[in-house]
Amino acid sequence: MKVLIADDSEFMRSLLREILEEEYTIAGEAENGVEAIELYNENDPDLVMMDIVMPIRDGIEATDEITESDPGAKVIMCTSVGQEQKMKSAIQAGAQGYITKPFQKPSVLEEIENVVAG
Amino acid sequence: MQIDIDSLETYNRLAREGAQSAATALSALTGIETHVEVTNISLVAPSELEYEYLGGEFSGVRIGLDGALDGETVLTFDSAARETVADVLAPGADEGMRRSSIEEVGNILTSGFIDGWADHLDAVIDISPPTYVEGSGTDVLPAETTGADGQVFVFRSRVESASGSLDFHILLVPERESLVEALDPATDDAIPFEKLEVFNEMTKSGAERAAENVTTMTGLETDVEVNRMRFVPIDAVPATVGDRRYVGTVMEYTGKPSGYLAILFDRPSAEAVVDALVPMETDGEWGEMEQSAMKELGNIMTSGFIDGWANVLESSIDHSPPTFVSDMGTSIMSPIVGRMAQTQEHAFLLDSTIQTDTDGVFRCELFALPDGAELREVLEELLVERADQTRVDPDEVF
Repeated sequence: MKVLIADDSEFMRSLLREILEEEYTIAGEAENGVEAIELYNENDPDLVMMDIVMPIRDGIEATDEITESDPGAKVIMCTSVGQEQKMKSAIQAGAQGYITKPFQKPSVLEEIENVVAG
Repeated sequence: MQIDIDSLETYNRLAREGAQSAATALSALTGIETHVEVTNISLVAPSELEYEYLGGEFSGVRIGLDGALDGETVLTFDSAARETVADVLAPGADEGMRRSSIEEVGNILTSGFIDGWADHLDAVIDISPPTYVEGSGTDVLPAETTGADGQVFVFRSRVESASGSLDFHILLVPERESLVEALDPATDDAIPFEKLEVFNEMTKSGAERAAENVTTMTGLETDVEVNRMRFVPIDAVPATVGDRRYVGTVMEYTGKPSGYLAILFDRPSAEAVVDALVPMETDGEWGEMEQSAMKELGNIMTSGFIDGWANVLESSIDHSPPTFVSDMGTSIMSPIVGRMAQTQEHAFLLDSTIQTDTDGVFRCELFALPDGAELREVLEELLVERADQTRVDPDEVF
């Protein structure tokens, strides 16, 4: 399974890569929402781990555009934001999962399993 | 109890003028120039007042107030100032006389501090004979103040001299009922005191969440030591934060309320947390990965801090990606204040200190500056019964 990581933090991308690359193929790393959309279209990943607070274009806007062009896209928001209204916005944009930072490796892998299983 | 923000501005000015009067009196007595560095009004839990007097030995006077304003004032000199005052006023005298000189100076300065309040209220405020106090923490504070229920308004001023040899603090803790009468809301848009208390509690809860996030990410045990809401003239914010050097992040948040949040670590603490996240070369240089780790920590702490506001208010508050800062506190806060000063003269500064319980190695300060007009709207809309709804489990939403 190919996973695209979208997070403006180099540190967080590195942390996620460490967690994911043991079991999955990393399909690219994006630093903002625009790059996430571009890499999604180029690399056709099976799953996107999407931050919300990013420059240029945030993760909810990017998710909205990705799921509009590919209704089968699977996106997990991976964010520090723990606001209920944001969670609802993420659902409306088409996200299927939501992980709040700081996270532990098992919770990340469990959420991925849940989302992939549908 | 209703709080009229305009009255708070008036009383903040009175406290500043009172402190200036005390500073002028002290300069006249000693021949050493002093100036009022900071004056503000804090809303705090009484148990947190002792943090005003930690980290040093203080001596001064405690004086009771009765009449148009009931309560107590504490005026204290730090060790260097105590020696300076005693050397000038009682040179070569024995310890009893030196102590007496401190008592009398404290008495004179407190009178100068209080007179303006009495004039403003057009009434009499009687002051009790001074009680000499010495020590740190609760040694200096009256037991009845630190043991009180609920939160209290504290008027505080810090007076400094250029040489640092004559610094002193004044705290005024009015009794709640007395303050209600003094503030006497004249406008319809006064804010219930209970809502200010609740918002302050929500902020403390946010700081606790931010502290938990630090612990989860770094393994360093942390706790919120101090949480207070301070009402300050906007141009006094940099001096309130102080000129210590900090490393951390600054974020702008937008929504209701909008504003700024600075998360500032002292340098050893910053190095400790980043070292726990990524191995760090401690050569004084912050590389891209170290800065990225600090920014991500700031990002996560910011969410912990403001998410509770959004959840209680059933709204959404966005925040910008963090900006890495490494500078003196005054320099970090000045650009923020410059932007906010275009629309407001006073600000509520929400200030929380996170540190380790044990060895004091870790220390981080959070300074939030919400837009004044928007904070008023938030307080008007705040439903007190939702105040404990700060956290939301994503699994319950998804």
